[in-house]
Amino acid sequence: MEGCHDAGCDASEIAADSTLALVGCPNVGKSVVFGELAEQYVDVSNYPGTTVDTTLAEFGDYQLTDTPGVYGISAFNEEERVTREIVLEADAVVNVVDATHLDRDLFLTLQLLDMGIPTVVALNMMDEAEAGGIDIDVDALEDALGVPVVPTVAVDGEGTDDLRERIPEATAPETTAVEDYYDELPDELTATRAEKTLLVEGDEPLAREVDVGGVMADGGSAALVEPGLREEIYGGRRSRVQSIADEVQTVTEVEGGIREWLSDLMIHPLTGTPIALAMLGLIFYLIGGVVAQRIVGITEGDIFAQHYNPAVEAFVSDLLPEAAWVDPIEFLLINPELGLLTITVQYVVGVLLPLVLAFYLAIGLLEDSGILPRLAVLTDRGLNRIGLNGRAVVPMIVGVGCVTMAVITTRMVGSKRERLISTALLGLAVPCSAQIGVIMGLLAGLGLVWWFGYLGVLLAVLGIAGLVLDRTLPGEGQALVTELPRLRVPRPGNLLRKTYNRTKMFLREAAPLFAATALVVSALDYVGGLDAIMDGLRPLTSLIGMPADFGQILVLGLIRRDFAAAGMTDMALSHAQIFVGLIVITLFVPCILTMTMILKERGKKSALLMWLGSWVAAFTVGGIAAATLGVLGV
Amino acid sequence: MSEVLADVGSGESVRLTEVPDGDTRARLLRLGFLDGAVECRHHIRKGPVIVRRNGTDLALGSDLASEIEIERPTTEASD
Repeated sequence: MEGCHDAGCDASEIAADSTLALVGCPNVGKSVVFGELAEQYVDVSNYPGTTVDTTLAEFGDYQLTDTPGVYGISAFNEEERVTREIVLEADAVVNVVDATHLDRDLFLTLQLLDMGIPTVVALNMMDEAEAGGIDIDVDALEDALGVPVVPTVAVDGEGTDDLRERIPEATAPETTAVEDYYDELPDELTATRAEKTLLVEGDEPLAREVDVGGVMADGGSAALVEPGLREEIYGGRRSRVQSIADEVQTVTEVEGGIREWLSDLMIHPLTGTPIALAMLGLIFYLIGGVVAQRIVGITEGDIFAQHYNPAVEAFVSDLLPEAAWVDPIEFLLINPELGLLTITVQYVVGVLLPLVLAFYLAIGLLEDSGILPRLAVLTDRGLNRIGLNGRAVVPMIVGVGCVTMAVITTRMVGSKRERLISTALLGLAVPCSAQIGVIMGLLAGLGLVWWFGYLGVLLAVLGIAGLVLDRTLPGEGQALVTELPRLRVPRPGNLLRKTYNRTKMFLREAAPLFAATALVVSALDYVGGLDAIMDGLRPLTSLIGMPADFGQILVLGLIRRDFAAAGMTDMALSHAQIFVGLIVITLFVPCILTMTMILKERGKKSALLMWLGSWVAAFTVGGIAAATLGVLGV
Repeated sequence: MSEVLADVGSGESVRLTEVPDGDTRARLLRLGFLDGAVECRHHIRKGPVIVRRNGTDLALGSDLASEIEIERPTTEASD
């Protein structure tokens, strides 16, 4: 492989079982090209040690990897670090270039060629380029780059046969301008051409790993070269990009048309806010109303509660012998609170699966249409106030549907600090759709004033918690830097494939976690641990002016948030008690599934702090509300 | 005092001259936003500034926009 990187490969040098990576900027159609090339999907999973997912497939003698979209090979974020590692390991790459953004995308192309990575360029979206008045001389581009360039319209399958045929021709120029900088590196350095290129560009992760004269570079002194070299090299590469783009493309000014008009409307606060609210309202109606209420009503209520669970209970009871030692096993498997084979399966398949499918479909729709970055622009100002940037709007939207799912989507928020803040806010003050359904029912009996009061308290807690976290967590918030891709109508095939892959990955990750959690909670329940917890909660229930059996509601809330709200419907409570009770169970710890997910995504320390923090917040705010209402004599 | 991107109104063309953070500067450089004049497409009040260069639109948060120094290109300097 080193030979390949050093001097560029031709077809004969690529052995069977070679690795081929699809690399390109975001939204250039990599996944569609991937779908066209892939003969058999192998795997969708998180790249080891990260939360970024990659897709693997078989393609002829190649193992094909779809990488996250990046504008260059460096390590500015997790997506870039993953792509960089895959590219460094790859025998060849297919660089998908957006023909409408040649000037932007060729930076990555030239960087790959500077690294000596055997490359074939798929010049995609040729139809959109033509419609946009952009004429590209493909042969001239091929000559200028010195590697095969294949024009494609991947969504229609145009050019993909040609691309498939030319992949064995993947190559890289013998020498490029960046080699002039290799002299800046220590003489005793042992590195490939790809590594040398990244090192002169100040790639810190690589600088920490490389071997300098048999001595590993000190982790503390990452820079092997002058700090300003990266900008000099990037600047030089940009000049080459511009001269190639000027040489091979002719641009005729074309009016922006309806897309640009719509994009402008979506960004402007006055017009964008109602559009966003209407769009989100529709999504909530479809997910919260249609899926969470009706479809989940059928899958959970009819299929599982009426048919699956009784059948499994009968089967397990028949299967197990009549003996005292069997009792705990039977309890773990089929207890009515969180039985491993009954309620746990019911949650994962009957409740979460339809919700997860619907969410990924909605998120995919927002992503593929280019709406998501526009929502980020619209909400950036508001979210800045709580230490977040506009990108955090996604988990907040998803959270109102299902907080467990939302914790996963915090991966797209940006820095670790922002992920921590958004996860904490989700766990604390964002009720999920299942809970909202029951809460709305209870508040409807009290009247509109109580409903606004409830909403006001939640928003206040969200704002205060955000401010406190922003002030106390180390580091500074990352400013929004996001590209606004063109608005386009999403392709159903791509959308369905993406939804399927993400759902599969979610279930594969979540199901074992939920099963393990169910076993632990059931065991605790069996030995009387949950009753003990209920007794221990008495001082807290009296603090918020609730009867002692509200402890049971809290224990139910530990397991699932809507259980707690549903449990309150059976209690004889005053209006003020219902109001305080609802605030407490909303702010109270996230449900056990969310907690498991927080533990996985944010680690033990953060999960424990968030868990304890939500207890403190719930009872403090509940106590203040109870005292205030008491003073007011409500 | 030098002007910053946050002072620029929609429709104006300017050059981004100083970007304080090294990583952000490298990211903008990669995308070609430091090559020449960029068009300010929208400046949302107290919110992000959306700049365009060669058909690529980039939204920059208001805090960042208030740190990026700009230069209004003269006829010779514009491209």
